Parts: sequence; C-alpha cells; structure tokens
Amino acid sequence: MPILDIRGLKAYYITRKYGHASRVRAVDGVSFQVKKDEIYGIAGESGCGKSTLLKAVSGLIKPPLQVLEGEVVYDFEDQKLSILSLREDRQRRRIRGVRISLIPQGSMSVLNPVRRIRESFRDIIDAHLGTVDEARFNDIVRTHLDALGLDWSVMHAFPHQLSGGMRQRITIALATILKPDIVFADEPTTALDVVVQRGVIQLIKKIKREQMNTVIMVTHDLAVHANLCDRLAIMYAGKMVEEADVDALFSNPRHPYTIVLLKSLPRLGDRSVRTSAPGAPPSLVNVPSGCRFHPRCPEAMERCRSEDPELVEVEKGHRVACLLEEGSR
Amino acid sequence: MLKKYLLPRLVQYVTVMLIGITMVFIIPRLLPSDPVEHQLSRMTAQGQYLDPAAVEDLRASLEELYGLKGGILQQYITYWKRLLTGNLGPSFAQFPTPVTQLIRTSLPWTIGLLLTSLLLSWLIGTTLGVVAVTYPNSVFAKVAAVLAMGIRPIPYYIMALVLLILFAFVFPIFPMAGGYSMGARMGFNARFIFSLLRHAFLPVTSMVVLEVGGWFLQMRNVASNVVEEEYVSYAEAMGLSRLKIMLHYITRNAIAPQITGLALNLGFVFGGALITEIAFSYPGMGYLLYSAILAGDYNLIMGINIFSIVGVSTAMLVIDLIYPLLDPRVRYQ
Ligand SMILES: Nc1ncnc2c1ncn2[C@@H]1O[C@H](COP(=O)(O)OP(=O)(O)O)[C@@H](O)[C@H]1O
Ligand SMILES: [Mg+2]
Repeated sequence: MPILDIRGLKAYYITRKYGHASRVRAVDGVSFQVKKDEIYGIAGESGCGKSTLLKAVSGLIKPPLQVLEGEVVYDFEDQKLSILSLREDRQRRRIRGVRISLIPQGSMSVLNPVRRIRESFRDIIDAHLGTVDEARFNDIVRTHLDALGLDWSVMHAFPHQLSGGMRQRITIALATILKPDIVFADEPTTALDVVVQRGVIQLIKKIKREQMNTVIMVTHDLAVHANLCDRLAIMYAGKMVEEADVDALFSNPRHPYTIVLLKSLPRLGDRSVRTSAPGAPPSLVNVPSGCRFHPRCPEAMERCRSEDPELVEVEKGHRVACLLEEGSR
Repeated sequence: MLKKYLLPRLVQYVTVMLIGITMVFIIPRLLPSDPVEHQLSRMTAQGQYLDPAAVEDLRASLEELYGLKGGILQQYITYWKRLLTGNLGPSFAQFPTPVTQLIRTSLPWTIGLLLTSLLLSWLIGTTLGVVAVTYPNSVFAKVAAVLAMGIRPIPYYIMALVLLILFAFVFPIFPMAGGYSMGARMGFNARFIFSLLRHAFLPVTSMVVLEVGGWFLQMRNVASNVVEEEYVSYAEAMGLSRLKIMLHYITRNAIAPQITGLALNLGFVFGGALITEIAFSYPGMGYLLYSAILAGDYNLIMGINIFSIVGVSTAMLVIDLIYPLLDPRVRYQ
C-alpha cells in the first residue's frame, strides 16, 4: 500500500502583470506513489519544479502558486486524507510537523533569528501537543537530541551563534521532533560543505532508522541519491521522465535525459572529459511542444516535436517517458 | 564587552550634548542685539527716570543676571555653572520670571499631548501594519494602504483647522482653544479631568490621524519583507498557528525600526508640537516657543532648545542601549 499517492498533479505559478497573465508550469501533470518506509528520491536540474512539487504535495499552496488539477492522497495506517481537499489552515495545519514534515535547504535563514533554539522547539511542540509542562518538554527534546547525538547546550543558543552545519542539524531535529510519518527534505545538503553534507546524510539515515518514517528526498545531487535512496525519480521541466529503483536507474538508465545526467557525474578513476547536457532547461512559461527534452535530446526524432510521451512502465518498477520506449512495451 | 559597547556611546552622548549646549551659548552672542541694553531701553521707554549712577548699577546687576559679565570664557563658565544648578536665567519678555518656571508650567501640557498622541498613533499604526501584512489580500489591507498614503501628506494646520471647523464650530462638541476650561479648578477632580480630556481631544485626534499612517506604512513595509523570510514559511510548514507566527515571527522581527522610531519621537516630545499647539492655542512647549520667538525672548528660546537637545540625545542613547535587546545578532560589543 503506498503511503502517498499523487495523480495528475498540476501546479502553476499564475501571476498577473499589466493585465497579462503569465503561467509558470512548474509541475505539469505528475503522478507517482511512495511506499511506506522507503526513501524516495527526486532529482533534476534546478528550476525543473522539484520544490514546487513538494509544496503542492504538502499542501503549502499560496499565491501565486495554484494547484489546477490532481489529487494527493496520504494513507496513514489510521487515517486516509486527501490534502488538497482539506480546508486551508486549521485542518492542514494539524498534520504539519506531526504527520508530514519538511526539512528545507541548509541555509542561514530557516530559523527565527530572534528566538533561541529552545523556543523554536517550544513553538512546534506547543502548536501540536498543547502547552506541555516544562518537565515533559525537556524530556521530549532531550530524548530526541540524544538520539540524534546533539548536545543539549545548543538549546540556549541563538541561530547566528551556530555553524551552518549545526543549524541544519537543528532544523532536522525540529522537523522530526514529533516523529512525522513522512519527511520531505528539499535540498537539505545544498549550501553545506562536503564534510558537513556527509554528516547531515548520516543524520537523516539515523532518524529514519529510529522513527521508521518515509522520506522523500529532493536534490539535484545524484551522489546523495545514490547514497541514500531506495527509488529515484528524474524530473525535467515540470514532468517526471523516469522512475526506478536506484540501482536499476544508475545501471540501466533509459531516458536520454537520465543518460546525459549520469554522464555528467564524475566517476572514480575515469579521466575522460565529463560531458554535460548541451543547452539549458527550457523556460517553464513557454515550454517546448511535444517532448520537453527534444530540443536538447541527442536521439530526438521528428515525432518528438509534437507527441508528448506518457510515463509508462517498461520493466517492473521502471517507468520511462520517451517515445523510443514504445517498442519495449 | 559591555564596557566596549557602552563607553563609546556614553562618550558620544556627552559630546553631542556639550556641542549642542555650547552652540546654544554661542549663537545668541553672535546676534547684534544686546539684551542688557534692550532691557534698559525698555525700562527707560516706560518713562522711568533713572540717574546715570543707578543705570550703571542696573546694568551691572542685569549683566550679572543674564550671565553676561566678564570675558567670553568667564561667561561660558558661568553659563555651565548655572545650567548645572538648574538655572536658565530669567525670561526677557516676562521679566523676571525664571525660564525654568515657564518651561515647568508648559512641559506637562506638551508631554501629555504628545505622549498620548505618539503612543496612540504608534500602537494603532503598528498593529494595523502587522494585520495588513498577515492578511495581504483583505479589503482592509487595501483600504488602509490607500487611506494611509492619502492622509499622510495633509499638513498639520489644515487637519487642525478642519477638525476645529467641524467639531468646534459647526458642531460645537469640543472647545476651540486652550488646555482646560477657565472655570475648572486645577487639581485631581472629575470636573477638571473631564475638561482636560475635552480640550485634548481635538489636538490629539489631529495628530493621531496624521501620524498613524506613517507608523502603519513603515510597519507594513518592514513586515512584508519579513513575511518573505524562510523562517516564516518554515513556521507555516511546521504547523504553527497564525497568531504565533504573526506575533513571534513577523512582528518580533519587524519591530526594531518601530521601536527606534518611537524612542526618537519620545525625544522630540520636549520640543513641543509647534503647529498643533498654535492651532489649538494649547499651552505647551510649542506654544511657549512660538511666543518666545515673537517676543525675541532669547533666554527662553535657549532654555527650550537645551531641553530639546537633552531630550533627543537621551533618546538616541536609549535607542543604542535597547537595540541589542531587540536583535540578538547585534551584541553589546
Ligand atoms: N513564487 C514564484 N513565482 C513565480 N515563479 C516561480 C516562483 N517560485 C518558483 N518559480 C518558478 O517555478 C519553476 C520551478 O521552480 P522550483 O520548483 O523552485 O524548481 P527547483 O526546486 O527544481 O529548483 C522555476 O522556473 C521558477 O522560476
Ligand atoms: Mg528547489
């Protein structure tokens, strides 16, 4: 049973300027399922709609973002809910941090600069458990920090007094303090140096082991996916182009875009010049007709200009959206 | 640490006051008129006959009284000595009433008037600013912005006149002028307090209406940047309540400029609200200054200036001292 089932999701940024509406088709018909307890990775160049997908899926939708179509259904053991049909605010708020949670990009400004770390924990716990007494609060937080290997002394610090890596660990601790069923991580290692990145990945693994949550990991860094994920999806220009088990995807990539992406990865011992995909991802305001990748695709055919391929299963658990795959169906 | 933060600011505070108060000493001495001669000629013009010896005596004692005896350095020393003992000399126009006494009777009026309107407009403007940012698409937010921008450029005297014409003349609900009714006995009694409030209502309203917009716009602008910050979206993503986010995430991070502005304006309270006080004939510092200027009462002008200088520089010092409390990133260094 999938814990998360997304069908035909379309989320656009719709802005009106001088009476002229502009639509950024950031998520344009995406369907996938996430199984309970897995780590599901989403990769793709920046600007392809990964963050927007997470926002829409977690119901954090405010203008200019609009969800035009689609369904997002969570199936927790005791509760099944369709987040997009929940009334905004109170109902959605109740599940945030408790059932679904978010680890944002490791940056300076995720934590409230005028609030001590302790108060940030307080805010989240109070929002969901009611105002708990001091002893219980300390107990909850101490147990969690111990499990994560973080020192209690950080509780009294202000965010600016901590290193970037420590801030990101705290953010992760905050996001998981209430043992959420699903954790969305949006580029949690970006903007951190390599050593700190490794620590953050270890931390996410550790939490996953402790709390047995489902993790959806978004990053453009394929090395992180290889290290962490069970399954991996590749996004291009607002669409999913390929999805498979991580091993299958790395050993047997089938979409030309995936192949190009993997070619650009550095490999141990390989001294040949890395090729990266020629050209840049298209603007999501004027997307190319047909297959969105065709202008950059080394294998493009005439049909690719006009026909938009569906994401179809070509092998068990391996889905690809490419016209070249038609024969193998 | 604290010393490193505090000391330079204290030094700056004292320096600014020294310079300001010294300017107040120098400027009247650059003017061609001589207050002693002025006073003497006024006395003789009133028809008093004085024999030359008496005139000399009088001149000497006036010089003494005005602190104009001896060379400039000696005068400067005398000036400071008197200042530090709370002696600002006599008023020229209302001779020989001491300047300090005139200020003492006007100051409570001004402080009452300005403090009330300042605190009211600050509170209303700040609160509305936060609400407008929290509900950016509401009708309220749009109407408030238009009103704030439309009302702000209205000059104080126009607003005062409009209110006077409407609520004191056409509908005579409020008095035209003054600080309290002549009949009321000053003191802590219901009749006096009522008359006080009735007289203060229009001046306070005129200032609140004009100043609310500024506080509103400043708060709205700062807070609308804060709303875009990642820590606000993160708080939303973690399911914090709207009230919590509004108070501890948006307001708390946008309030520093408001508090600085408030503190600075508290410093200006000592100078009075010149135009409003004139328009409503309100017996405050602004009105006092206005009559001092009309009468060429240098001593009184100087005294009021000294109050303003002390008020504003103290406000600046207070701002510096409270800023690290508002933003922990600014440390006492
Ligand atoms: N607030 C916004 N208004 C308009 N367009 C936006 C906004 N946020 C993101 N976009 C656009 O949506 C597209 C997808 O962005 P995003 O989901 O952040 O991509 P990714 O996370 O993969 O880098 C980009 O073209 C970006 O410019
Ligand atoms: Mg992103």
